[in-house]
Amino acid sequence: MARKIMGETRRAAAQGWTRRAALGLAAGLGLGLAMAAGAAAAAEKVAVGALRFTSHAPTFIAYERGYFADEGLDVELKFFQAAQPVAVAVASGDVDFGVTALTGGFFSLADKGAVRVIGGLMSEHPDHDGSAVLVSNKAWDEGVRSMADLRGRSFALTQFGSSFHYMAGRIAEANGFALEDMRLVPLQKVGAMIGALKSGQVDAMAIVPHIARPLDAAGAAHIVGWVRDLGPYQVTTIFTSAANTTERPELVRRFMRAYARGIADYRAVMLDQDRDPAATEAMVDLIHKYVYADRPREKAAPSIKAGAVHLNAGAALDVADVERQLTWFKKHGLAPAGLTMDKLVDPRFQPAGE
Amino acid sequence: MDLRVVGLTHVYAGAPVLQDIDLEIPSGRILCVVGPSGCGKSTLLRMLGGLERPDAGAVLQVGEPPEGCLNPLTYIFQDFALLPWRSVAGNVALALEDRRLGRAEIARIVDDVLARTRLSAYRDALPRQLSGGMRQRVAIARALAVRPACLLMDEPLSALDAQTRELLMDDLVGLWLREGFTACYVTHNLAEAVRLGHRVAVLSRRPGRVREVIEIDMPLEERAERMPELAVHERRLWQLLREEAAAADQELADV
Amino acid sequence: MSEPACAHAREGARPVPYRGGGFAPRPRRWAGAAFLAGLIAFWEMCSRLGWISPLALPAPSEALAALRDLAQSGLLAKHLGASLGRLAQGWTLGVLAGIAAGLAAGLFSLARAGILPLVAALFPIPKIALLPLFIIWFGIGEESKVATILFGTFFPMTIAVYGGVDNVDRTLIRMGQSFGLSRLSIIRKIVLPGAMPAILSGMRISASIAIILLVAAEMIGAEYGVGAYILLAGNLMATDQLVAGVMILSAMGLTVSWLLGMAERRLLRWRA
Repeated sequence: MARKIMGETRRAAAQGWTRRAALGLAAGLGLGLAMAAGAAAAAEKVAVGALRFTSHAPTFIAYERGYFADEGLDVELKFFQAAQPVAVAVASGDVDFGVTALTGGFFSLADKGAVRVIGGLMSEHPDHDGSAVLVSNKAWDEGVRSMADLRGRSFALTQFGSSFHYMAGRIAEANGFALEDMRLVPLQKVGAMIGALKSGQVDAMAIVPHIARPLDAAGAAHIVGWVRDLGPYQVTTIFTSAANTTERPELVRRFMRAYARGIADYRAVMLDQDRDPAATEAMVDLIHKYVYADRPREKAAPSIKAGAVHLNAGAALDVADVERQLTWFKKHGLAPAGLTMDKLVDPRFQPAGE
Repeated sequence: MDLRVVGLTHVYAGAPVLQDIDLEIPSGRILCVVGPSGCGKSTLLRMLGGLERPDAGAVLQVGEPPEGCLNPLTYIFQDFALLPWRSVAGNVALALEDRRLGRAEIARIVDDVLARTRLSAYRDALPRQLSGGMRQRVAIARALAVRPACLLMDEPLSALDAQTRELLMDDLVGLWLREGFTACYVTHNLAEAVRLGHRVAVLSRRPGRVREVIEIDMPLEERAERMPELAVHERRLWQLLREEAAAADQELADV
Repeated sequence: MSEPACAHAREGARPVPYRGGGFAPRPRRWAGAAFLAGLIAFWEMCSRLGWISPLALPAPSEALAALRDLAQSGLLAKHLGASLGRLAQGWTLGVLAGIAAGLAAGLFSLARAGILPLVAALFPIPKIALLPLFIIWFGIGEESKVATILFGTFFPMTIAVYGGVDNVDRTLIRMGQSFGLSRLSIIRKIVLPGAMPAILSGMRISASIAIILLVAAEMIGAEYGVGAYILLAGNLMATDQLVAGVMILSAMGLTVSWLLGMAERRLLRWRA
């Protein structure tokens, strides 16, 4: 990681040589416009960081259906295990675009002038399943029936400063108790969180619906509430490097246009899956190439369908909520105090698409 | 207490090492055992003290050990076998620690034996601070501390230089004159054997048998002065040993 | 050339060329500290001049400032207390179990046959890979953290003790037997002290491994602890805190090494 970042520093120091600087120069001379306009011009190479989650489906759709190519982008997908390394890779210049929840690590990278938010993707929506709040059978037996009962209970997270941490904060805030009134248990991995919840070692956690519902149905845990009930929440955002926003805004714009088409396709099919079953199946086929690829299709399909979350049309960003999140992270010492919205968000790429 | 070896035979990995050994170590006398290297001298000594079990034959104690004897069969090792982390007094005390003696009693015995071996000034020294000769003196003091009926000495002077060896031989003679201990003294050095042995047993090369036991009828205290007479015995021993040693030297080591 | 040397030279004699020396590093007490200080000063200078991006590596002064903030907030004591408690428990239990297993393997044929292959098979397993199992076995409380450190220290300790016991001079054991010492006395008074150099060097290695495993151990449900602090710093990309945490680990390593050095000087005085 450090090596890559140092590589970036070196690259930046040796300006005038790099691919990026050369392109910036070309754009400055007015050649960029010509390149962008003509499909005849050589496609521009762009690396997109992706996670094998259903919520990253627009990336796969735009890639598979040639929306990136339509914008003259020669996209290379680079796969990661977690969102934080994508942000680091964008900061180091190895990847151009990524999708992440807003976390302490991301805020820190933004504060260092490495990354910027350019759009919104997943959000909690009153009409759709979002993350559910689960409690263990043990806690249930002890009378925990709602989010308000979580006061004085333990709550599993991946890490401090993660979106799970923030959700815990929202739960506490909405129910009128302090975050400190819950015992937060960082367990690094979602698998470990589920294991700890099932075995009653933690009382509660928040998790995406396609994991929460089966656990609830199997009697391994109980859903006691939904995060969407806590108000609007911009869960994941689309981001790029700060250098891209300043040196290659046109490229960013084209990327966002293509990405918005991917989102539109997804919304049209996945948010109302019964309307056109054939289209739904085709979409599942497409996503299955990337998500749950290690399982046979018939086993993957229910998870993919159940994992259909709400994605914002046109990659619209709920700026007000982003600001609220930033304030919360700062208040809890999880984001740099000096980070401003100007530095975090570049609104020039809103709205994306037609 | 006498020590008697009867028909002792031992086989190592199919090859006989000792065959039909009969020996007698009468009380108050020193028996030296000489033989070419690899003839089983050290094995024999380990059997005398019960550290190894013979395949056939037996080692017998004849009579009761004297009153107050703590460890009837006591070894003195070639490389001293002192615990490097214990002082001189601590090393001597080690031999007394599993004997149900009081702390004061142990201290008294240690003081006494260090005084008798003239080591009192070194009681707190660590082995590494001592010369080889001094280390062996400590080992001898440790052996005397348990008031042995019979000392089993395995080449006790071999790790020392020639001058130290002379000094220690004088010490051992002086000690025997004062304490009159019984001993089986294994060595490959014929000069030591004729200086210290009332009798000298010559073993053949492997498998070791007793070729001859010669009697040296000269008081130990006079031997330092009567070297030329001893030389006769030494020459005779050498004649007995010579062929065996030469043959043993040519053998391939396969053990 | 001096007069006599000239005379020798005329006879065709010359001094034998010197070929010895070297290969005998001696401790230079201040050189190490000076080297470290110089390196840190150089690092600080590179940061100040902008040769090292703050994104890549914080300046040592920033890391020290983070450390000072931590100390002033009172959290340093909490983190250190939690970590040292886990280290002390896990390491002590691991060392004791390792000594027992190493002794058994060094003294008894049957134990050797059972323990050695087991150690060879389990030692190379990264304990971090077993974390999910440890959660199931020991829960997410202190037990799993202590167990991680215990397992990490047990194996190197077993190997060190077993090797040390194997190397105890057998004539010393024969000597003990020849003086009629009991088996227990021989183990306590001859085998254990004889294996002490190996036991201490095993303790050195296992203490370092325990510190290495601290971060892994505190991945699971740890609110306080130096490892948890470092993990949090990593999550927040707070590189100054990250480096500060690493500095604490280094300081712990240095302290342990210093304490064991004192123990060695005390316990192994006889070796000189």
